[in-house]
Amino acid sequence: MKKQLTQFVLNKPKIIFLMLLVLTLVTAALIPLIQIDTDPENMLVEDQIERQFHNHVKSQFKLHDMIVVGAVNRSEPSIYNPQSLGALYEIASKTAQISGVIDYDLMALSTVDNITQEVGGGIRFDWLMKQPPNSPSEAAALAIQVERLPLLKNTLVSDDLQAASIYVPIADKNESHRIATEIQEIVDGLESKDDYHITGLPVAEDTFGYQMFVQMGISAPLAGLMIFIMLWCFFRNFKFIAAPMIVAMVTVIAVMGIMIGMGYTVHIMNSMIAIFLMPIAVVDSVHIMSDFVERYQGDENRGEVITVVVGDLFKPMLFTSVTSAIGFFSLMLTPIPPVQIFGAFVGAGILLAFMLTILFIPAYLIVLKPGALKSLRSIHHSESILNRVNAQLGRLGLLRSRAVMYFFILILGLSIWGIFKIQINDNPVRWFKADHPIRVADRVLNEHFAGTYDAYLVLTAETKYIEQQFNEQLSKIPLWQATFNELSNQDKSFNQNAQALLLWAEDQLFEAGPEQVDDLEQLITNIEQTMEQLSIFKDPESLQYIVELQNALQNSGLVGKSNSLADLVMTVNRELKGGGEKNYQLPNTQAGVAQTLLQYQSSHRPHDLWHFVTQDYDSAVIWVQLTSGDNQDMTQVVSYMTEYTEQNPPLANLVINWAGKAYLNKVWQEEMVAGMGDSLISAFVVVFVMMVLLFRSLLFGLLAMLPLTLTISFIYGLIGWIGKDYDMPIAVLSALTLGLSVDFAIHFLQRARDIYATHNDFKLTMQQMFAEPAAAISKNAIVIAIGFTPLLLAPLVPYVTVGVFLASIMAVSAIVTLVLLPAMLNLLRNWAFKS
Amino acid sequence: MMIKKILLILTLGFTSLGANAIEIDEIIERANLASFYVGDNGRSDARMIIVDNDGNKQMRQFVIHRQDVEEGGDQNFLVVFSRPSDVRGTVFLVHKKAMVDDDRWLYLPALDLEKRISASDNRTSFVGSDFYYEDVSGRHPSLDEHELIEETEDHYVVKSMPKDKSAVEFAHYQIRIDKQSFLPMLIEYIDKAGTIYRRVEVIEVQTIQGYPTVMKSKVSNLKTKGHTLLQFRKPVYDTVVNDSLFTTRSLRNPPK
Repeated sequence: MKKQLTQFVLNKPKIIFLMLLVLTLVTAALIPLIQIDTDPENMLVEDQIERQFHNHVKSQFKLHDMIVVGAVNRSEPSIYNPQSLGALYEIASKTAQISGVIDYDLMALSTVDNITQEVGGGIRFDWLMKQPPNSPSEAAALAIQVERLPLLKNTLVSDDLQAASIYVPIADKNESHRIATEIQEIVDGLESKDDYHITGLPVAEDTFGYQMFVQMGISAPLAGLMIFIMLWCFFRNFKFIAAPMIVAMVTVIAVMGIMIGMGYTVHIMNSMIAIFLMPIAVVDSVHIMSDFVERYQGDENRGEVITVVVGDLFKPMLFTSVTSAIGFFSLMLTPIPPVQIFGAFVGAGILLAFMLTILFIPAYLIVLKPGALKSLRSIHHSESILNRVNAQLGRLGLLRSRAVMYFFILILGLSIWGIFKIQINDNPVRWFKADHPIRVADRVLNEHFAGTYDAYLVLTAETKYIEQQFNEQLSKIPLWQATFNELSNQDKSFNQNAQALLLWAEDQLFEAGPEQVDDLEQLITNIEQTMEQLSIFKDPESLQYIVELQNALQNSGLVGKSNSLADLVMTVNRELKGGGEKNYQLPNTQAGVAQTLLQYQSSHRPHDLWHFVTQDYDSAVIWVQLTSGDNQDMTQVVSYMTEYTEQNPPLANLVINWAGKAYLNKVWQEEMVAGMGDSLISAFVVVFVMMVLLFRSLLFGLLAMLPLTLTISFIYGLIGWIGKDYDMPIAVLSALTLGLSVDFAIHFLQRARDIYATHNDFKLTMQQMFAEPAAAISKNAIVIAIGFTPLLLAPLVPYVTVGVFLASIMAVSAIVTLVLLPAMLNLLRNWAFKS
Repeated sequence: MMIKKILLILTLGFTSLGANAIEIDEIIERANLASFYVGDNGRSDARMIIVDNDGNKQMRQFVIHRQDVEEGGDQNFLVVFSRPSDVRGTVFLVHKKAMVDDDRWLYLPALDLEKRISASDNRTSFVGSDFYYEDVSGRHPSLDEHELIEETEDHYVVKSMPKDKSAVEFAHYQIRIDKQSFLPMLIEYIDKAGTIYRRVEVIEVQTIQGYPTVMKSKVSNLKTKGHTLLQFRKPVYDTVVNDSLFTTRSLRNPPK
């Protein structure tokens, strides 16, 4: 069949060209529909329980995405000086006017309230910084005020008094780049001596999205150019090497176009599809072309040469493509959507590249004018320097087989040791290089403040028993029961529905005759008691537990600071009771808490309360500030608190959960590690079975697995030894390694077998193997490794990582294939080549 | 003929211009009295329902007592809370001063705490609602420059600009005053960008003891998309008031 196919291609090359053109045009037309997605949240499936809870908490507590603007004092003894504060004031008031900024939630010294003692025993409510101070003494007075406000201290002004911040909530995080740019313009327009930094996850995400575009537009084409140059070095014939480039381009355009056309967003993972597909797409063509050059002597029988070459390579190429594709398809077992999509489309792209290679390369070679191929006759790889190196490698494997085997066993041992040292960790901010302004801002602000990374410890009260009690009372009077059922809204909480009944009862009381009054008043009392019972977080005992949790968080030494409803209540209570530090405590009764809160709500920012507790007072949140966004650090906090709550269980009716971006990052990291293990193991098994079937030999199957096993172990061992964090890009490299290493092994073993079948002589077989087949393998390795050096210049760390490891993978798997496989074949030749 | 006509028109024009110049102060004066100075004193039950953008409701219920010290000038208020039940017995006493800062006192029964309060401005939330203190007790007309910008069949439309821009969060506000009752039926607050961000509207008016009285009003915060409904019940005017009602003695012993 493959012969007929090749015949068809050679007879009707124009049909193939037309098909290719149509495919390219149609898919390229879809690319402008591109939608960038940089939200790390999307690492989790949309209905993932932790993600849903996070979003529920976000809407329940009206939490917005925040841009953090930080000022670091450089010229004065502290940030509390008229110049710095004046600048902060200007920036805060101008920033509040930027469209898309939620001005009423903006947190700055000039937009928050203060509560102070007055001479004569009164208390005063006022803006903390209504106007910027005019004198150093006024500025110093402000410092004393902030020191007394636990919710602001080390959040709005750092404890070392050198830095101040503005928290800018935004309505739509996709606008954060524009808003951050406008804030930067405001900052630039002021003559402040302070250093200003703008950061926050939404800015990082948005900037990252922009950089991804740059990467796709510059790095990928640059990698293509490098590959092109490398191919030219080997073949020195532009028209000839245009063929693999066309295959690579068409594959990349088609896969990206189809993916975008199908409505998938472009995420950090699948933005790398082009970079992954390009080397793989080129590999098959290089095999065909090397073989063609080797056999092409004159133009008399070009068609025949092509047919023989394709015939020779069809099977190994098919199998390498299928195995590589399986390596990537296995990523679909990882429960992380961007990784799944990446795996699916790279896998499909590999199969497409195979088809394009089989169809297009022969068609292309047949239409080239004889003159265009003339130069090829003078190149013979068997005579190149590269081949002399290859021959050396082969000799090493053959003459020192045992030593080679022991050497690789040693390497394997060291690698496995290294794997156990691997640190699993990721942090989206660290996807930027260390000198990127976002990383700098992140580092500087977290040095000064309690932390710019947020996690939320959410306490929710279980109140079903109160509802039951109330319903029992209600059921005694059918009218009330009926009214309650009628007024109740399924979407509203029980508390809200009880309140609706209270309003109804009130209205009734207004018009009621004397005979109904007692009953209605009884009902009203019942509802009021129930509503008080439901308000768990007005209960000092619940607030005390929050205080204890906060103490535990602080004692863990892992978090910068935590903020809660308890802090707020204690601060207001202290001031109501005269301002002495001994009064920084919770009121004794629920009514005391309620009345303290009523004072807090009589401020310029009453809505701030609802960031800490729900309006039903049945759920409260502790806002935890962390100085590190590393998943590892979040994991430590979570396990510390899990242990703490096990030893100090909450009141019977409280349930504790985590939310917040820092926590979500931890969740997907765990999913990723587990998922990657699964996908790697299953891909390994499938590839092994395929190898056994392909070679119809258990021994050859095992041999084929050797290079990839060693390469994967080596690469991950290396990561362990050098202490690089195992993050998402590193995790997906296992699939690439699997796919490319097995490629080399299949070509080597299949060709070795074929040659042995003609000559029945092991020595001769090996000699021939180190002519053309070894040349193709090493050429491929070099093309890919060097082709991706432009990635080393990328401003985004994941791309650099991929570039470095791609080169290492190529080098290691080529060396393993060319040294270890001949050595093993030599040692095992009596079993491997039974005559 | 022609000249006479022109003269007549000119005269009429000047007269109405002259009338306007006097009228704007009078409109504002009468609106202020109609809203905050009905009778010599008054008392009403009040219920606030604070609704957030998700439709969550909170309730505040209180009785408000008022006594005018001087018509259009100083006033006393006493606000006694009854709901939610955990704030029952909380009392605010305000001696409103037309020219200087108000005197305010507070009593919190659960903490058994009586406290003198000073506030820098009256544009803070009234117990967590969308009403400001100023919406409840009245903003003194002399704080703003008023301009009659439109007169319809039923309404005067007045634009008011603050004299001290730094003291308030609005750039200006616009009042729609009913020509009959002189009640401001709609007030819209406009920010520096020219956007209406806050709205105070009268929803229901009844005549009580001959006085047009607001029974239901609503403040909407167009930024947070929350609003507060305020309902009055059983309002009475010109009752006999014990002199001690508006002293700090009432904080611990509010009227039943």
